[in-house]
Amino acid sequence: MNQKRKLHVRDIILLALIGILFGAIFIGTDFVYNALTAMLTPFGLAPMANDLMMGLWVMAGPLAGFMIRIPGTAFLGEFLASVGEMFFGGQWGAATLISGVVQGIATELGFTITRYRYYNWITLTITTITTTILTFGWDMLRNGYAKFDFQLLIILFVARLISTFIFGGVFVKIINGLLSRAHVLATR
Amino acid sequence: MNPTIKLALILIASLEISFTYNLPANLLVILISVTYLFYHRIHGKTLAWLVIVPIIPAFGLFTTIYFFSSQHDLATASALFTRMYAYVFAGASFSLTTKPLDLAHSLEQNCHLPSKFAYGTLAAFNMLPKIKQTIVTIKSAAAMRGVNLSWWSPHLYFKAILVAINWSENLAMAMISHGFVEDQPRSAYELVQVKARDITWMVGLLIVLQVPIVWQIMN
Repeated sequence: MNQKRKLHVRDIILLALIGILFGAIFIGTDFVYNALTAMLTPFGLAPMANDLMMGLWVMAGPLAGFMIRIPGTAFLGEFLASVGEMFFGGQWGAATLISGVVQGIATELGFTITRYRYYNWITLTITTITTTILTFGWDMLRNGYAKFDFQLLIILFVARLISTFIFGGVFVKIINGLLSRAHVLATR
Repeated sequence: MNPTIKLALILIASLEISFTYNLPANLLVILISVTYLFYHRIHGKTLAWLVIVPIIPAFGLFTTIYFFSSQHDLATASALFTRMYAYVFAGASFSLTTKPLDLAHSLEQNCHLPSKFAYGTLAAFNMLPKIKQTIVTIKSAAAMRGVNLSWWSPHLYFKAILVAINWSENLAMAMISHGFVEDQPRSAYELVQVKARDITWMVGLLIVLQVPIVWQIMN
């Protein structure tokens, strides 16, 4: 698309609104996360809840990148979602910002690799892979994944890849399809 | 304390404890944050909530390392357990004591963040109560037609985005009609300054945090 287009204040408002809206929808999933963690704890798989939910948390990024096709929007969408989460009842507070930056860069990287030219399944597959790898690397530190057994790491990685593909890939594609059928993106 | 400096301090501290498995350092972060929260007269209920919320993930992580990993490493497990709390308390000592407006002013004036970012995001964040209401409305409207929209329904996101597109147009229009011009110098009625005291606190607290970390490296 047009790479020279600049971000205007209404794009920034939209990106922030999407982040907050998604945050408001995810508030309902907090109990799913906690229930999953509690259920998986007896099997020694407690961190897997993290990986299974990851797709939901990184959805804002690829969607923003698809909706507003300007370099940097995927990063901003993801990052602003974390800013919103920080101020309005997110349980991790300012640490969310760091995760937001990591997730944002990871998603943006997927669009950078395709040079902001292609917006199709290939792009979504690449963003899924970059997001999974980078966020997993960050969890190696943050959530102590580095101390887990190798076998567990493989399970967690696959869980995260699938989750990210379903929510950050399939879901984004469906929502984007609905939006373009509604002709709300053309005017932007 | 200056919001930007406070945020920087918390981000640096959070990053640093992410790279180390250090129980005393985590406890120190928790202690300083709780003291700061008490100084700002936090409610007992809020504090109790901060203790309860991370307990399931923190305990899950603890058991995974201590009971299920091959090394049964108690030191790592307890460091990870307390680290979760350090994140939560450090984060709360920022987000519970700082207003979004103050942060936006500070980032714009002290960090030279372009005003379109500072005010654009602020405009969006001020819509939060309406956003929550809108999600409820969308769900109820669907329920009336016998459709159940939940967080796994793409249609819920689609409808929410339609609303967001409308609002972003309206908000941008409203800002422009109030005289907001992108990329133009602005004057501020409320000046946010970085005081010497802010820097002293930041550097001082960061030095204190290094003590347990350096101690661990030395031994």
